[in-house]
Amino acid sequence: MLNGLDIEGRTLLHRLPVRGKLVLLFTAAILLFLTSDLRILGPALAAAAVLFLSTGIGLREAFRRVRFVLFTVALVAAANYVFVSPREAAAVLCRLSALVLLAAAVTATTGIPAFMDEVARLLAPFERLGLVRAADVSLAVGLVIRFVPEILARYGEISAAHKARGLPVRPLTLLTPLVILTLKDADTIAMAIDARGFRRH
Amino acid sequence: MTTRDIVLVALFAAIMIVLGLIPPVTLGFIPVPITAQSLGPMLAGCIIGARRGAASMLLLLLLVAIGLPVLSGGRGGLAVFAGPTAGYLVGWVVGAFVTGLIAERFVREGQKEVLQLAAFLGAAVIGGILVNYLFGLAWLAHMSGKAFLEVSLASAVFLPGDLLKAAIAALAGRAVLAGYPLLHQRA
Repeated sequence: MLNGLDIEGRTLLHRLPVRGKLVLLFTAAILLFLTSDLRILGPALAAAAVLFLSTGIGLREAFRRVRFVLFTVALVAAANYVFVSPREAAAVLCRLSALVLLAAAVTATTGIPAFMDEVARLLAPFERLGLVRAADVSLAVGLVIRFVPEILARYGEISAAHKARGLPVRPLTLLTPLVILTLKDADTIAMAIDARGFRRH
Repeated sequence: MTTRDIVLVALFAAIMIVLGLIPPVTLGFIPVPITAQSLGPMLAGCIIGARRGAASMLLLLLLVAIGLPVLSGGRGGLAVFAGPTAGYLVGWVVGAFVTGLIAERFVREGQKEVLQLAAFLGAAVIGGILVNYLFGLAWLAHMSGKAFLEVSLASAVFLPGDLLKAAIAALAGRAVLAGYPLLHQRA
Protein backbone atom coordinates (compact mmCIF):
# COMPACT_ATOMS: atom_id res chain seq x y z
CA MET A 1 0.00 0.00 0.00
CA LEU A 2 2.59 2.54 1.13
CA ASN A 3 5.78 2.05 -0.80
CA GLY A 4 8.89 4.15 -0.32
CA LEU A 5 10.27 6.40 -3.03
CA ASP A 6 13.70 4.81 -3.11
CA ILE A 7 15.01 3.23 -6.32
CA GLU A 8 17.22 0.17 -6.02
CA GLY A 9 20.76 0.55 -7.30
CA ARG A 10 24.45 0.59 -6.48
CA THR A 11 25.46 4.09 -7.55
CA LEU A 12 27.80 6.24 -5.48
CA LEU A 13 24.83 8.08 -4.00
CA HIS A 14 23.26 4.77 -2.96
CA ARG A 15 26.41 3.71 -1.10
CA LEU A 16 26.95 7.00 0.73
CA PRO A 17 25.78 6.93 4.37
CA VAL A 18 22.47 8.73 5.05
CA ARG A 19 24.05 11.32 7.30
CA GLY A 20 26.64 12.16 4.67
CA LYS A 21 23.91 12.71 2.09
CA LEU A 22 21.91 14.94 4.43
CA VAL A 23 24.97 17.02 5.32
CA LEU A 24 25.77 17.43 1.61
CA LEU A 25 22.18 18.44 0.89
CA PHE A 26 22.18 21.10 3.63
CA THR A 27 25.55 22.41 2.50
CA ALA A 28 24.29 22.64 -1.06
CA ALA A 29 21.18 24.49 0.14
CA ILE A 30 23.29 27.08 1.95
CA LEU A 31 25.74 27.50 -0.94
CA LEU A 32 22.95 27.89 -3.51
CA PHE A 33 21.51 30.81 -1.55
CA LEU A 34 24.88 32.57 -1.24
CA THR A 35 25.16 33.36 -4.92
CA SER A 36 23.02 34.93 -7.63
CA ASP A 37 25.59 34.38 -10.34
CA LEU A 38 24.02 32.53 -13.25
CA ARG A 39 27.43 31.19 -14.30
CA ILE A 40 27.40 29.16 -11.08
CA LEU A 41 23.65 28.48 -10.69
CA GLY A 42 23.16 27.28 -14.29
CA PRO A 43 25.78 24.51 -14.10
CA ALA A 44 24.56 23.67 -10.57
CA LEU A 45 21.09 22.99 -11.95
CA ALA A 46 22.51 20.86 -14.75
CA ALA A 47 24.64 18.90 -12.27
CA ALA A 48 21.65 18.34 -9.97
CA ALA A 49 19.54 17.07 -12.88
CA VAL A 50 22.31 14.70 -13.98
CA LEU A 51 22.74 13.46 -10.42
CA PHE A 52 19.00 12.82 -10.02
CA LEU A 53 18.79 10.95 -13.33
CA SER A 54 21.96 8.96 -12.54
CA THR A 55 20.06 7.22 -9.73
CA GLY A 56 18.47 5.06 -12.45
CA ILE A 57 15.02 6.50 -11.91
CA GLY A 58 14.00 7.01 -15.56
CA LEU A 59 12.89 10.30 -17.08
CA ARG A 60 9.12 9.76 -16.75
CA GLU A 61 9.14 8.80 -13.08
CA ALA A 62 11.70 11.51 -12.31
CA PHE A 63 9.46 14.16 -13.81
CA ARG A 64 6.30 12.76 -12.19
CA ARG A 65 7.89 13.07 -8.75
CA VAL A 66 9.10 16.64 -8.90
CA ARG A 67 6.55 18.23 -11.22
CA PHE A 68 4.40 19.74 -8.48
CA VAL A 69 7.28 21.31 -6.59
CA LEU A 70 8.86 22.51 -9.84
CA PHE A 71 5.50 24.06 -10.75
CA THR A 72 5.55 26.17 -7.56
CA VAL A 73 9.18 27.06 -8.31
CA ALA A 74 8.10 28.19 -11.80
CA LEU A 75 5.35 30.37 -10.30
CA VAL A 76 7.83 32.08 -8.00
CA ALA A 77 10.25 32.56 -10.89
CA ALA A 78 7.43 34.01 -13.02
CA ALA A 79 6.67 36.55 -10.29
CA ASN A 80 10.32 37.56 -10.27
CA TYR A 81 10.25 37.87 -14.07
CA VAL A 82 7.26 40.21 -14.01
CA PHE A 83 8.12 42.30 -10.95
CA VAL A 84 11.92 42.28 -10.72
CA SER A 85 14.02 41.25 -13.71
CA PRO A 86 14.57 38.32 -16.08
CA ARG A 87 18.03 37.83 -14.53
CA GLU A 88 16.63 37.46 -11.03
CA ALA A 89 13.93 35.13 -12.36
CA ALA A 90 16.55 32.88 -13.97
CA ALA A 91 18.61 32.88 -10.75
CA VAL A 92 15.59 31.90 -8.61
CA LEU A 93 14.54 29.23 -11.13
CA CYS A 94 18.02 27.62 -11.27
CA ARG A 95 18.66 27.86 -7.53
CA LEU A 96 15.35 26.36 -6.37
CA SER A 97 15.10 23.72 -9.11
CA ALA A 98 18.64 22.54 -8.35
CA LEU A 99 17.78 22.24 -4.66
CA VAL A 100 14.57 20.32 -5.39
CA LEU A 101 16.37 17.89 -7.71
CA LEU A 102 19.17 17.30 -5.19
CA ALA A 103 16.64 16.57 -2.45
CA ALA A 104 14.76 14.20 -4.76
CA ALA A 105 18.05 12.44 -5.54
CA VAL A 106 18.68 11.83 -1.82
CA THR A 107 15.16 10.44 -1.40
CA ALA A 108 15.54 8.21 -4.46
CA THR A 109 18.74 6.64 -3.12
CA THR A 110 17.80 6.13 0.54
CA GLY A 111 15.58 3.31 1.75
CA ILE A 112 13.03 3.76 4.56
CA PRO A 113 14.92 1.49 7.03
CA ALA A 114 18.16 3.44 6.50
CA PHE A 115 16.31 6.69 7.05
CA MET A 116 14.63 5.38 10.21
CA ASP A 117 18.00 4.32 11.64
CA GLU A 118 19.31 7.81 11.03
CA VAL A 119 16.18 9.34 12.61
CA ALA A 120 16.73 7.19 15.69
CA ARG A 121 20.34 8.41 15.90
CA LEU A 122 19.29 12.04 15.46
CA LEU A 123 16.73 11.60 18.25
CA ALA A 124 19.31 10.25 20.70
CA PRO A 125 20.18 13.65 22.25
CA PHE A 126 16.47 14.40 22.76
CA GLU A 127 16.04 10.98 24.30
CA ARG A 128 18.76 11.74 26.83
CA LEU A 129 16.87 14.92 27.74
CA GLY A 130 13.76 12.78 28.27
CA LEU A 131 11.78 14.64 25.59
CA VAL A 132 11.03 11.78 23.24
CA ARG A 133 11.85 8.09 22.93
CA ALA A 134 13.18 6.88 19.60
CA ALA A 135 11.41 3.54 20.10
CA ASP A 136 8.09 5.38 20.42
CA VAL A 137 8.70 7.19 17.14
CA SER A 138 9.46 3.91 15.36
CA LEU A 139 6.33 2.40 16.93
CA ALA A 140 4.21 5.32 15.68
CA VAL A 141 5.67 5.05 12.15
CA GLY A 142 4.93 1.32 12.15
CA LEU A 143 1.37 1.91 13.36
CA VAL A 144 0.68 4.43 10.58
CA ILE A 145 1.92 2.08 7.85
CA ARG A 146 -0.09 -0.76 9.41
CA PHE A 147 -3.37 1.17 9.67
CA VAL A 148 -3.56 3.19 6.43
CA PRO A 149 -5.03 0.26 4.41
CA GLU A 150 -7.60 -0.39 7.14
CA ILE A 151 -8.71 3.25 7.29
CA LEU A 152 -8.86 3.37 3.49
CA ALA A 153 -11.20 0.34 3.56
CA ARG A 154 -13.29 2.11 6.20
CA TYR A 155 -13.53 5.14 3.91
CA GLY A 156 -14.78 2.78 1.18
CA GLU A 157 -17.49 1.48 3.53
CA ILE A 158 -18.60 4.98 4.53
CA SER A 159 -18.82 6.13 0.94
CA ALA A 160 -20.74 2.94 0.01
CA ALA A 161 -23.14 3.71 2.86
CA HIS A 162 -23.61 7.19 1.38
CA LYS A 163 -24.39 5.70 -2.02
CA ALA A 164 -26.85 3.22 -0.55
CA ARG A 165 -28.79 6.10 0.92
CA GLY A 166 -28.53 8.19 -2.25
CA LEU A 167 -26.36 10.86 -0.58
CA PRO A 168 -23.37 12.62 -2.10
CA VAL A 169 -20.09 12.15 -0.17
CA ARG A 170 -19.53 15.49 1.56
CA PRO A 171 -16.54 16.43 3.74
CA LEU A 172 -18.59 16.70 6.91
CA THR A 173 -20.65 13.55 6.59
CA LEU A 174 -17.43 11.73 5.70
CA LEU A 175 -14.98 13.15 8.26
CA THR A 176 -17.03 12.69 11.41
CA PRO A 177 -17.74 8.95 11.08
CA LEU A 178 -14.25 8.28 9.70
CA VAL A 179 -12.55 10.01 12.64
CA ILE A 180 -14.82 8.57 15.34
CA LEU A 181 -14.75 5.00 13.99
CA THR A 182 -10.95 5.10 13.65
CA LEU A 183 -10.04 6.75 16.95
CA LYS A 184 -12.43 4.45 18.86
CA ASP A 185 -9.97 1.63 18.14
CA ALA A 186 -7.22 3.46 20.03
CA ASP A 187 -7.97 1.82 23.38
CA THR A 188 -7.90 -1.72 22.01
CA ILE A 189 -4.71 -1.10 20.04
CA ALA A 190 -3.01 0.51 23.04
CA MET A 191 -3.99 -2.44 25.24
CA ALA A 192 -2.64 -4.88 22.66
CA ILE A 193 0.67 -2.99 22.54
CA ASP A 194 0.99 -2.89 26.33
CA ALA A 195 0.00 -6.55 26.65
CA ARG A 196 2.90 -7.47 24.39
CA GLY A 197 5.28 -5.37 26.47
CA PHE A 198 6.54 -3.25 23.58
CA ARG A 199 7.11 -0.20 25.74
CA ARG A 200 8.83 -1.80 28.72
CA HIS A 201 11.16 0.61 30.46
CA MET B 1 2.80 10.29 26.40
CA THR B 2 0.92 7.11 27.24
CA THR B 3 0.64 4.22 24.80
CA ARG B 4 -2.91 5.37 24.04
CA ASP B 5 -1.65 8.87 23.14
CA ILE B 6 0.92 7.41 20.76
CA VAL B 7 -1.78 5.27 19.15
CA LEU B 8 -4.09 8.29 18.79
CA VAL B 9 -1.27 10.33 17.23
CA ALA B 10 -0.47 7.53 14.77
CA LEU B 11 -4.11 6.86 13.89
CA PHE B 12 -4.71 10.54 13.24
CA ALA B 13 -1.66 10.74 10.97
CA ALA B 14 -2.99 7.65 9.17
CA ILE B 15 -6.36 9.36 8.69
CA MET B 16 -4.56 12.35 7.16
CA ILE B 17 -2.78 10.04 4.72
CA VAL B 18 -6.08 8.41 3.72
CA LEU B 19 -7.60 11.85 3.16
CA GLY B 20 -4.75 12.49 0.73
CA LEU B 21 -5.33 9.19 -1.10
CA ILE B 22 -9.05 9.61 -1.75
CA PRO B 23 -10.26 11.80 -4.62
CA PRO B 24 -10.92 15.45 -3.68
CA VAL B 25 -14.47 16.00 -2.43
CA THR B 26 -16.66 18.72 -3.85
CA LEU B 27 -18.80 20.80 -1.58
CA GLY B 28 -22.46 21.06 -2.50
CA PHE B 29 -22.58 24.82 -2.98
CA ILE B 30 -19.23 25.72 -4.53
CA PRO B 31 -17.70 24.09 -7.59
CA VAL B 32 -14.10 23.97 -6.32
CA PRO B 33 -12.98 20.56 -5.04
CA ILE B 34 -11.07 20.63 -1.77
CA THR B 35 -8.32 18.25 -0.79
CA ALA B 36 -9.37 17.12 2.63
CA GLN B 37 -5.75 16.65 3.68
CA SER B 38 -5.11 20.37 4.08
CA LEU B 39 -7.79 20.35 6.80
CA GLY B 40 -5.28 18.33 8.81
CA PRO B 41 -3.78 20.82 11.26
CA MET B 42 -7.13 22.40 12.12
CA LEU B 43 -8.81 19.01 12.55
CA ALA B 44 -5.94 17.62 14.60
CA GLY B 45 -6.01 20.56 17.01
CA CYS B 46 -9.81 20.53 17.30
CA ILE B 47 -10.09 16.78 17.83
CA ILE B 48 -7.06 15.46 19.71
CA GLY B 49 -5.79 18.71 21.22
CA ALA B 50 -2.54 20.69 21.16
CA ARG B 51 0.21 18.22 22.07
CA ARG B 52 -1.15 15.13 20.36
CA GLY B 53 -2.32 17.18 17.35
CA ALA B 54 1.10 18.74 16.82
CA ALA B 55 2.74 15.33 17.33
CA SER B 56 0.55 13.74 14.64
CA MET B 57 1.43 16.49 12.15
CA LEU B 58 5.12 16.06 13.03
CA LEU B 59 4.78 12.31 12.47
CA LEU B 60 3.20 12.94 9.07
CA LEU B 61 6.08 15.24 8.07
CA LEU B 62 8.57 12.63 9.27
CA LEU B 63 6.93 10.07 6.98
CA VAL B 64 7.19 12.55 4.11
CA ALA B 65 10.85 13.21 4.87
CA ILE B 66 11.87 9.55 4.98
CA GLY B 67 10.44 9.10 1.49
CA LEU B 68 6.85 7.92 1.74
CA PRO B 69 4.48 9.48 -0.82
CA VAL B 70 1.86 10.40 1.76
CA LEU B 71 0.90 13.94 0.77
CA SER B 72 -2.12 14.47 -1.50
CA GLY B 73 -1.37 13.62 -5.11
CA GLY B 74 1.25 11.08 -4.04
CA ARG B 75 3.83 13.73 -3.19
CA GLY B 76 6.61 12.91 -0.76
CA GLY B 77 10.32 12.82 -0.15
CA LEU B 78 12.79 15.54 0.75
CA ALA B 79 12.02 17.46 -2.47
CA VAL B 80 8.78 18.67 -0.86
CA PHE B 81 10.81 20.43 1.82
CA ALA B 82 13.08 22.04 -0.77
CA GLY B 83 10.23 23.81 -2.57
CA PRO B 84 9.00 27.35 -1.98
CA THR B 85 5.83 26.21 -0.19
CA ALA B 86 7.55 24.05 2.44
CA GLY B 87 6.88 26.65 5.14
CA TYR B 88 3.19 25.82 5.04
CA LEU B 89 4.04 22.22 5.91
CA VAL B 90 6.17 23.23 8.89
CA GLY B 91 3.34 25.59 9.82
CA TRP B 92 1.04 22.54 10.09
CA VAL B 93 2.81 21.48 13.29
CA VAL B 94 2.64 24.84 15.05
CA GLY B 95 -0.79 25.50 13.55
CA ALA B 96 -2.18 22.29 15.01
CA PHE B 97 -0.62 23.13 18.38
CA VAL B 98 -2.13 26.63 18.52
CA THR B 99 -5.51 25.38 17.29
CA GLY B 100 -5.44 22.75 20.02
CA LEU B 101 -4.42 25.19 22.75
CA ILE B 102 -7.29 27.54 21.95
CA ALA B 103 -9.81 24.71 21.55
CA GLU B 104 -8.75 23.05 24.83
CA ARG B 105 -9.06 26.34 26.68
CA PHE B 106 -12.31 27.73 25.29
CA VAL B 107 -14.40 24.70 24.36
CA ARG B 108 -16.26 23.08 27.25
CA GLU B 109 -18.31 19.93 27.00
CA GLY B 110 -21.41 21.29 28.71
CA GLN B 111 -21.44 24.51 26.68
CA LYS B 112 -24.14 25.57 24.26
CA GLU B 113 -23.60 24.27 20.76
CA VAL B 114 -23.19 27.76 19.27
CA LEU B 115 -20.47 28.68 21.76
CA GLN B 116 -18.59 25.46 21.07
CA LEU B 117 -18.78 26.06 17.34
CA ALA B 118 -17.58 29.65 17.71
CA ALA B 119 -14.63 28.57 19.87
CA PHE B 120 -13.66 25.81 17.43
CA LEU B 121 -13.95 28.23 14.50
CA GLY B 122 -11.79 30.82 16.26
CA ALA B 123 -9.21 28.17 17.08
CA ALA B 124 -9.13 26.91 13.49
CA VAL B 125 -8.85 30.42 12.03
CA ILE B 126 -6.08 31.54 14.38
CA GLY B 127 -4.11 28.29 14.45
CA GLY B 128 -4.87 26.80 11.06
CA ILE B 129 -4.82 29.99 9.01
CA LEU B 130 -3.00 32.81 10.83
CA VAL B 131 -0.16 30.76 12.31
CA ASN B 132 0.10 28.58 9.21
CA TYR B 133 0.37 31.61 6.90
CA LEU B 134 2.99 33.15 9.18
CA PHE B 135 5.30 30.19 8.64
CA GLY B 136 4.33 29.68 5.01
CA LEU B 137 4.92 33.31 4.05
CA ALA B 138 8.18 33.65 5.97
CA TRP B 139 9.60 30.66 4.08
CA LEU B 140 8.14 31.87 0.78
CA ALA B 141 9.72 35.29 1.31
CA HIS B 142 13.09 33.64 1.87
CA MET B 143 12.77 31.42 -1.19
CA SER B 144 11.25 33.83 -3.70
CA GLY B 145 14.08 36.35 -3.85
CA LYS B 146 13.27 39.95 -4.54
CA ALA B 147 9.63 39.50 -5.57
CA PHE B 148 8.54 38.26 -2.14
CA LEU B 149 5.97 41.01 -1.58
CA GLU B 150 4.11 40.23 -4.80
CA VAL B 151 4.30 36.48 -4.18
CA SER B 152 2.98 36.93 -0.64
CA LEU B 153 0.06 39.04 -1.84
CA ALA B 154 -0.78 36.45 -4.49
CA SER B 155 -1.17 33.74 -1.84
CA ALA B 156 -4.26 35.63 -0.63
CA VAL B 157 -6.23 33.76 -3.32
CA PHE B 158 -6.20 30.73 -1.00
CA LEU B 159 -7.78 32.66 1.87
CA PRO B 160 -11.48 32.08 0.98
CA GLY B 161 -10.88 28.35 0.60
CA ASP B 162 -9.02 28.23 3.90
CA LEU B 163 -11.82 30.04 5.72
CA LEU B 164 -14.20 27.42 4.36
CA LYS B 165 -11.88 24.68 5.62
CA ALA B 166 -11.81 26.29 9.06
CA ALA B 167 -15.62 26.16 9.10
CA ILE B 168 -15.59 22.47 8.12
CA ALA B 169 -12.97 21.71 10.78
CA ALA B 170 -15.05 23.52 13.41
CA LEU B 171 -18.21 21.57 12.49
CA ALA B 172 -16.32 18.27 12.40
CA GLY B 173 -14.56 19.09 15.68
CA ARG B 174 -17.88 19.71 17.40
CA ALA B 175 -19.46 16.59 15.93
CA VAL B 176 -16.57 14.43 17.15
CA LEU B 177 -16.66 16.11 20.57
CA ALA B 178 -20.34 15.17 20.82
CA GLY B 179 -19.77 11.60 19.61
CA TYR B 180 -16.39 10.64 21.10
CA PRO B 181 -14.77 13.37 23.20
CA LEU B 182 -10.95 13.29 23.26
CA LEU B 183 -10.04 16.96 23.39
CA HIS B 184 -9.86 17.42 27.15
CA GLN B 185 -8.14 14.22 28.12
CA ARG B 186 -4.63 14.92 29.25
CA ALA B 187 -2.06 14.22 26.56
